[in-house]
Amino acid sequence: MTPKVCLVIRDFGIFNRAWTQILRNLGIDYTLCISTSTTTSATIQTPQGVFAAGSADLRGYFRQFDAVILCDHSLNLNDTARINYSVFWLSWNAPEDPAFLFFNPHFSTAITESAYNSNFPSDFPIVRPDPSDIAGTLEAADGGSATNGDPLIQTQTRARGACVLFLAENILAHVQTICNAHINNTPYYWRLNTAKHSTLASATYTHRVARNGRAGEILAVPAPPTSSEDTETYPSDCVVAYRYRNCFWLPHALARSSFSVNLWDVTVQPFVFWLLYGLQLAGVRPRYKLPVQVETDHPLQATGTGAPYNHGIATQMGILAPSWDYMRDFARRTGTAIINGVVVGTKYRDTATTYHWHSLYSTSRSQAERDAAMRVHQILVAGHREGTTPCGVHDHTIGGGRGYWGAATNTGFVRHSGMRYGAPNNVPIARGRCCVAPHVLPAGVAGADAQTVQVGDTELVEWDIPTSGTGNTFDLPMGSIHAARVIIESEIEEMLALGFPDGYCAGHRYTNTAANNSGGECYWQALKEFGFRGVRSSSNCTGINIKRVPPNRIWQGFHLVGDEAVDNCGSGAVFSRGLYLPSAPAGGDAVRFYQLDHGSDISANWATGQVAAWRAYRRLLCQTTSIWLHGTVVELSSAYFHPNQSLMCVSLADPVAPFEGWSRLGPYGTPHYNHAVELLENMDAVVRLLPEYLYWGTITDVMDHRERVMG
Amino acid sequence: MPVRFLKNASELADVSWETPLPVQVANAKPVPADTLLVATTTVTADANRDLLGSTSTELPTLDGCMQYRKLVWFYFRAGADSTTYRILARATDHNGAPLGAGWQEIVPATTLPGAANSWNRIEIPATTDGYYDQYRIEVQRTSGSNYPLTSKIVGVR
Repeated sequence: MTPKVCLVIRDFGIFNRAWTQILRNLGIDYTLCISTSTTTSATIQTPQGVFAAGSADLRGYFRQFDAVILCDHSLNLNDTARINYSVFWLSWNAPEDPAFLFFNPHFSTAITESAYNSNFPSDFPIVRPDPSDIAGTLEAADGGSATNGDPLIQTQTRARGACVLFLAENILAHVQTICNAHINNTPYYWRLNTAKHSTLASATYTHRVARNGRAGEILAVPAPPTSSEDTETYPSDCVVAYRYRNCFWLPHALARSSFSVNLWDVTVQPFVFWLLYGLQLAGVRPRYKLPVQVETDHPLQATGTGAPYNHGIATQMGILAPSWDYMRDFARRTGTAIINGVVVGTKYRDTATTYHWHSLYSTSRSQAERDAAMRVHQILVAGHREGTTPCGVHDHTIGGGRGYWGAATNTGFVRHSGMRYGAPNNVPIARGRCCVAPHVLPAGVAGADAQTVQVGDTELVEWDIPTSGTGNTFDLPMGSIHAARVIIESEIEEMLALGFPDGYCAGHRYTNTAANNSGGECYWQALKEFGFRGVRSSSNCTGINIKRVPPNRIWQGFHLVGDEAVDNCGSGAVFSRGLYLPSAPAGGDAVRFYQLDHGSDISANWATGQVAAWRAYRRLLCQTTSIWLHGTVVELSSAYFHPNQSLMCVSLADPVAPFEGWSRLGPYGTPHYNHAVELLENMDAVVRLLPEYLYWGTITDVMDHRERVMG
Repeated sequence: MPVRFLKNASELADVSWETPLPVQVANAKPVPADTLLVATTTVTADANRDLLGSTSTELPTLDGCMQYRKLVWFYFRAGADSTTYRILARATDHNGAPLGAGWQEIVPATTLPGAANSWNRIEIPATTDGYYDQYRIEVQRTSGSNYPLTSKIVGVR
């Protein structure tokens, strides 16, 4: 049976293309239908005809689908019409009817249209929001503060957090959740008419989506606090998701906006969980499940040893070692592989003693420090060999720290020794002065040093090629395949010297590039020559920003996987001060970096209200999980974080313990928070909630799937 | 009875939407243009110096170009010093030998357009179609100092 859904929209001018992108990635067929207005008198334009919204013809048309999805919503509870035409469908409850998915539906009492109100089911159990009595009809969500801007269109910042209890699954998960919102920019959850719900929950009902055989079912509620410190509680009649017969009342899923259409600049869709959950509830079985995986950059690296933590190098390694032990175990039990970009180049080019090679071998480090670093390193090498923590090259020592082709010329480049492109071999380092396609090359013209170079479809014979000489240090123009070969081989040589059997994450043949700069076609060609299948790449794939990746991010079969950072601080702040620290610099803690301090309801209460830390915890997990999930579902890209930046805020006594508010403190007297543990465990809860849609996979699964649906 | 094929070394798969029969594209060239030359030439006062730096007048700059209707010459000149260019072309026999000595001059010595650090584009030939087998493209500085000229030539079918 082919999965098929119907999307009902009002206007392509405000249609979010992520709806169809996600369905394509899942292999779900879809049909787009247009409503001619927002009122009950609208007709629905379908590929098979135009039908009145309440007509038997439309009902018959809908019966070919697994689910009908309402795409429109409103920020204004005063609106008198938005999806009024859908009111008839609430009564189409026969077993032959499809499931109807209402995301953030507009059903407020401001709707005065009599046809709407007379057809609205009298036994519908969710209280209709009343804009003149919001407090009596809705429950202010996530602490009740207003968002700085429309909460429904936020992307990579300003998350509204909820720990949600999914009742049938008995799973707690942090997912961004807004049931309705209003022009005051406050997010809300719904209230339940408990008497009506009780009646529905007692009434038998037969439909394939009624998993408990009842007409009404509470699907999800705000989770009760797990700590007495967390005083943000909700009344027992508060719900966030409900099934009314075959109609699902679900939180906001996708913003109503015509986001751009190219994969290289996809806008983050932070509420996407609810679309997946709704589709699963509706019994839409996708052709493909989507693989969930995560990456880290700089898995072994130290940060500064100064304030606020004053952690010595051995202490920092003492945080990383148990965290990596945890992550390796997590990968073992879930079957994922955590990809890691090891900062290479420090064996030859950079003497910064915080980097991987120097942490292990620099004589400016004490023996105790080197030993502590080696314990982390051994976990990574063992994990690489067993497939749980595959490592690949990640070179910040070139291009002014910006990686492949990060500068026009890398002054004073130092290469490796031996192998094909190392000293003392005299090898090409820049494009030849003359390059002519072989089939038009006149006889007797090419110089004695001529060689054939192929980049993509273009093959040229080059001569008069600048070479390295026999030394190991020279100025290296970075924009040619010759430079790329020298650089990549030197990186792999260092990985081998570090004890890794390869430089490209073992069988995955992949790595995450430094600064997400993949260098352009010459680097992609050279990486293919060295056996790579793909790399992580920003859309502007070089630090000097003159190249773009192809729109589908696949070049000559080589994958340029998108990047979504999920650190808990900004890179400019060097490392995270935890969830929140009043004295942190800009971007120096999670709340500042992701702008989670709505109405100062964290910063103003930090010292006096213990709930503020729980609020920050919820919002951070919601924000980072949603970005990761967006990358997984919409972009088929990779989320990543930096352990050295994100993990220094943990308790030294128990670095991998779960968050427990003020009951367990990290350094500087703020609550302990291990980003790796919390993020992975929360995503695991999401994966367990969506067994029909997600599975723990690997970057190979991601690239396989990209070829399946993007090819 | 479904059609099956050997998908991997050991896996038999039914032909379906998800697993189509593998095919190899043959004789297909979706892009009707080829990169034929990328070169950096030091523009000197020497007569008869072509883009590849050769002053041997019988040597073509590009050969085997009969398949191209037109060549498009993009260049970036680093200097504004007065320069002329000249374009020669000829046909060859079935063995690749020129039909005779010398060249047909399709563009006589002409001022090379463009200021210092400017981008420029010249079509060869400027009108009608080419289909010559060989081309020779010469540049000569007529005053001032030497400067680098970086060229890319694309053949268009």
